[in-house]
Amino acid sequence: MTAIRLDALTRTFGTVRAVDDISLTIEDGEFFTLLGPSGCGKTTLLRMIAGFSDVERGSIWFDDRRIDQLPAHQRNIGMVFQNYAIFPNLTVAQNVAYGLHARKIARGEVDRRVAEALAMVELPDHGTRWPHEMSGGQLQRVAIARSLVIKPAVLLFDEPLSNLDAQLRTHMRVEIRQLQKSLGLTAVYVTHDQEEALAISDRIAVLRGGRIEQVGTPEAIYRTPGTAFVGSFMGATNMLAGMVEASDDDTTRITAGGATVLVRGRQGAAGDRVLLSIRPETLRLAADGHDGPQLVVRLTLREFLGPILRLHATLPDGTALRVAALGGQEVRATPGAEMALGYDPAQIIVYPAP
Amino acid sequence: MTGFGGLTAFRTGISLFALAFLALFLLYPLWMVMQASFQDEVTGHFTLAPYLKILSSRYYVASLDNSLIAGALSMVCASAIGVPLAFCLARVEMPGKSLLMTLASLPLVLPSFVGAYALVLLFGHAGVITTALRRIGLPVGDIYGMTGIVIVFTLTLYPYVLMPTLAGFKAIDISVEESARNLGASRWRVFRTVLLPIVVPSVLAGALLVFIETLENFGVPSVLAEDRPFLSLDIFKLFAGESDANPAAAGALSVFLVGITVAVLLLQRHYLAKRRFATGARRTPSLIPLPRPWRLLATAYSWGVVLLSLLPFGAVLVISFLQFRGPVLSWQLGLGNYATLLHGSYQPLYNTGILATVAALAATVLGAPIGYVLVRHRSKLSTALDVVAIVPFAVSGTVLGIGMIIAFNSGWLVLTGGWLILVLAYVVRKLPFSIRSASAIVHQIDPSLEEASINLGVSPLKTFATLTVPMMAGGLMGGMVLVWVTVAAELSSTIVLYSSRWATMTVLMFQALEGTAPGQSAAAASILILFTAVPLLLVYRFLRRQDGSLL
Repeated sequence: MTAIRLDALTRTFGTVRAVDDISLTIEDGEFFTLLGPSGCGKTTLLRMIAGFSDVERGSIWFDDRRIDQLPAHQRNIGMVFQNYAIFPNLTVAQNVAYGLHARKIARGEVDRRVAEALAMVELPDHGTRWPHEMSGGQLQRVAIARSLVIKPAVLLFDEPLSNLDAQLRTHMRVEIRQLQKSLGLTAVYVTHDQEEALAISDRIAVLRGGRIEQVGTPEAIYRTPGTAFVGSFMGATNMLAGMVEASDDDTTRITAGGATVLVRGRQGAAGDRVLLSIRPETLRLAADGHDGPQLVVRLTLREFLGPILRLHATLPDGTALRVAALGGQEVRATPGAEMALGYDPAQIIVYPAP
Repeated sequence: MTGFGGLTAFRTGISLFALAFLALFLLYPLWMVMQASFQDEVTGHFTLAPYLKILSSRYYVASLDNSLIAGALSMVCASAIGVPLAFCLARVEMPGKSLLMTLASLPLVLPSFVGAYALVLLFGHAGVITTALRRIGLPVGDIYGMTGIVIVFTLTLYPYVLMPTLAGFKAIDISVEESARNLGASRWRVFRTVLLPIVVPSVLAGALLVFIETLENFGVPSVLAEDRPFLSLDIFKLFAGESDANPAAAGALSVFLVGITVAVLLLQRHYLAKRRFATGARRTPSLIPLPRPWRLLATAYSWGVVLLSLLPFGAVLVISFLQFRGPVLSWQLGLGNYATLLHGSYQPLYNTGILATVAALAATVLGAPIGYVLVRHRSKLSTALDVVAIVPFAVSGTVLGIGMIIAFNSGWLVLTGGWLILVLAYVVRKLPFSIRSASAIVHQIDPSLEEASINLGVSPLKTFATLTVPMMAGGLMGGMVLVWVTVAAELSSTIVLYSSRWATMTVLMFQALEGTAPGQSAAAASILILFTAVPLLLVYRFLRRQDGSLL
């Protein structure tokens, strides 16, 4: 089993630093996700590990073995591609056997392992089919079987679910996760979908402009984003520009949107410009009966989304604010009316203004 | 570069080899032609005399004028019949459409000088129709000179406009049209303000190719110009003429010709680079529900144009089986023309077969890896290769032939008089075709397939050989047949480079034209038609390639 260590990796395309001095350690058996918007360098980083993108500076290690000098076909890495990359001229079984033939495995063992791998992805009787007879989801399973059957040191996923429809996507990510855990493989997964990353990962690295913004567990990344970028990238949040009014060791008072917001701890000195991140679900309808600080807002629109009731409101100076409440709640306020929202000062994150 | 093992060496090697090949057999001969044009024949000093002589000669200025006018007129006429045809094929329901599309691409590969000869055979001084009409007292206009040349060029080259325009019309997503209709535009207004502007770049791209082809073409004016001055003809006469040979002047005229075609080609590329409107339709446009009379009109027009363009070739085929008494046609069937033409020697047939096969194989073996490298691995080397590899488009066969004679007649590499020089000229001229068809296939192969193979443990070089090449095979076959066919019909460089041992069918045809026996020319023309049309139709049949995607 394998731990991956990336040491000061750099790669430039022209004048753009696609990967800019990235160092990371991915533990043995960990499901690690590289997350970020397009152009953040996540795919380049993955392709450097696979050997398809040159390492300009830095090194890649599998345990204590340096692998960035090895040609791609000698790295023993399984890779699942975005568009499946199933060979159209080979049957499903031949596709799965491809890497075993390259390893000169005896015929009987090839057949046994191919059958085993196809059973693992729940396609036991599909070996003789041609790729054009299969659906997208099935092809993705074949691709997974093909990369598992070679017993890779590490498994790489390059946005493997982005071509599937929403329902299949949530289903497949559970399966991928279960397979990876049961085989104990180290996996590196690239996606731009924050929900997918939260759902599937042990740890996430959020990338931006070729650099790592934050590494952490899904919970840590979501609840305590280290930067304003991570905060806004990890799902919807209300970003409010504000100014510190007064602060002590216990609480900081910040003016934002024409209202006063309380935040836990000392967050700078009076007069400092800051950014506040208030997640929509941390705001509560004050009718719930909680005490504590409140914000008075004017309701502009309500959207009923089934499990969630989303409220669009404005702060006193007109700044928009979104609120997410559970759909089962009764909200009496009608658009145009004022309402009070409760919040927990500990759940509001403060960043220095850029 | 790390991590790619043998592939880096492979692609660098291919690029270097291809560049060296083109430098030696394309750029070096061209350089020799240019050098000859700036050199005083006696003293060997630098001189501008040949250029001054040409520019002060009324004959050669007329030669330049005639070629440019013929080019411009053919371009306009080919567009005028090609664009409506493209629209009808793309959007109007009509019987036999797929057959029509296959037939419509034939004129491009059928030898155009055979078409010109057919026109002479039918409407010439002693033409079949001319004589018949004269007998009942109807005069027939003169088809020699500009009129005939433009007619032949229009009818044989319009597919250059048709194919890209057809593809352009088909690539317009239906939603574009629907939204225009939804905003209140009539069908005609949509056509005028939306569809037509979108395909204009395709039309222009094709039209400029027509222009280039017209300037370079040697066979058509050689049949139809009689004694009128024409650029490509005069270059040949100046170089190979028995009484008034003047390589320096031939070189100077060549420089004019190549200069114009290069300029047009650069213009075309520059223009196209900025205008890519039609980018793959998600829903291809549907057929337009036309009222019956209009549909009949569209059908008649489409079939009419295509049949008219193939008619001369059909006429030649028929006439070749009729007996001639002197120049006069008698309506008796027989194989006499073929017997006389070949006088018991099938050598020209074999020559054409052998040369075309060797050239097609060589062009494919060289073109396939180049096409692959150009698509997959962008580097400074491959960009240079990309630019050099389009030069053959701009160089007429006659000029290349003259250059190769000057370059390889003496010195360290002597090739004149053998078969190799012919094959080399063919490979150089057809390389852009094979590179383009190879690139087109590689574009359709997802790069991640190769990466998956490498990732699964197969080395890059082995992946290329065992995965990529087999996937390219079908398309390569099509490209190879195309090269074979166009080489079999090649006249302009063959006529400069051949030796009597390696005379081809086109040479035989050319010689028969100079003689007085029309039957033999018709027989030679028919053989050429079969040589070109049959393989192409077979490819269409078996590879199911339509819309002229092979061209």
